[in-house]
Amino acid sequence: MVTQGNPSKSEFLWDVLREIPDPEMPAINLVELGVIRNAVENQYENSVEVTITPTYTGCPAKQLFRDLIVEKLEEKGYSKVMVTYQLNPAWTTDWLSEQTKQKMEDEGIAPPVIHRQQITCPHCKSTDNRLLSRYGSTPCQSLYVCNSCLETFPYFKCHR
Amino acid sequence: MDISIQNDTSRFFFRIADTSLVLGQRLAELCTQGPSLEESVALSNISLDLFGRAEELYAIIARIEGGQHTPDDYVYRRDERHYYNIKLVEQPNTDFSWTVARQFFHDVYAYEVFTQLLNNSDEEVVGLAQKVTKEIAYSREHMQDWMHRLGLGTEESNKRLQRAVDHLLRYADEMFNFDALDRTHFADCDLIEKKWNSEIDEVLAAVHIECKVSPKLSMRDFRDGFHSEYLGELLSTMQYLPRTYPDAKW
Repeated sequence: MVTQGNPSKSEFLWDVLREIPDPEMPAINLVELGVIRNAVENQYENSVEVTITPTYTGCPAKQLFRDLIVEKLEEKGYSKVMVTYQLNPAWTTDWLSEQTKQKMEDEGIAPPVIHRQQITCPHCKSTDNRLLSRYGSTPCQSLYVCNSCLETFPYFKCHR
Repeated sequence: MDISIQNDTSRFFFRIADTSLVLGQRLAELCTQGPSLEESVALSNISLDLFGRAEELYAIIARIEGGQHTPDDYVYRRDERHYYNIKLVEQPNTDFSWTVARQFFHDVYAYEVFTQLLNNSDEEVVGLAQKVTKEIAYSREHMQDWMHRLGLGTEESNKRLQRAVDHLLRYADEMFNFDALDRTHFADCDLIEKKWNSEIDEVLAAVHIECKVSPKLSMRDFRDGFHSEYLGELLSTMQYLPRTYPDAKW
């Protein structure tokens, strides 16, 4: 993550960016999700350019990410905000920290695991569950049901 | 609006973008029409993947073309003779087995296409291919399951799948009728054909579906903008609004 200009202003910038939630999972912000890759500010013009990488190609929130970033930064006093997309390197669930994955679980979403081994029910923590549907309510999720507590839960698909 | 294409590279990417777009549109027709709620949601999700893929490719094309047009222009302002998708993806949602077979045949092909794009000279294309190959593999797995369930299900499901495959297989030939432009951008065209044939043969045999030899279609190639009659109807629905109200804006 490269930033220019006054370091304390840059900290401010990243703190602001960390306030932008994912619209589907509000407990998780766009920085920890790995969507916001880079932010460069120009102090003299009071402008900032943010580079983002989309998560799933078909994510309908792609446009919304851009709007949320522009809205938040303009609210915080930047007069010009530019958002550019970067497809390479491709987003991967590897970019999610353990902390972020824990937040997902707390929200009732099973975090991604490699090759779908040992998926944990976010409600009762049992690993005895089965796939109900490969596709869930959003392009990033599939649907599982826990054989222990019988609750259904979304699983954040592991794309790496 | 006159959509002119300056670069050969763009013409190549249009083939892939248009194929994704038309198939996305076909699946979008099934929203709320699936055989079950989960399947309706699954088909809509795959449709989103396809539209997302097409959108990224049109954005890359727009960049290559120097920003002359926007992705919306490419989607909404071209007519059938200027679309470059394969005819397979235009074929209708006659019944669920058509949807399954069409998607499966497309996914095996698209996976090979995007695998070769992993070595493309354009960095953004490589990034897109890295993402997309995973998404295609996922939907292919889903459709392969359905090929099994339908082929090995009941006499009725097998009969319907056979009828779908009989029709759709006739559109395979043109996919492998590679031209000079394809050979510039694909390192190994023959590999695409070989892998597709071997995977399809294997799966059809496993699900008790015959691979019948049919007379060749007397239709010209998609690479020259020739299509089955289905594309006209599909585009007139998809482009209805900008065609009727050319100055409409969101």
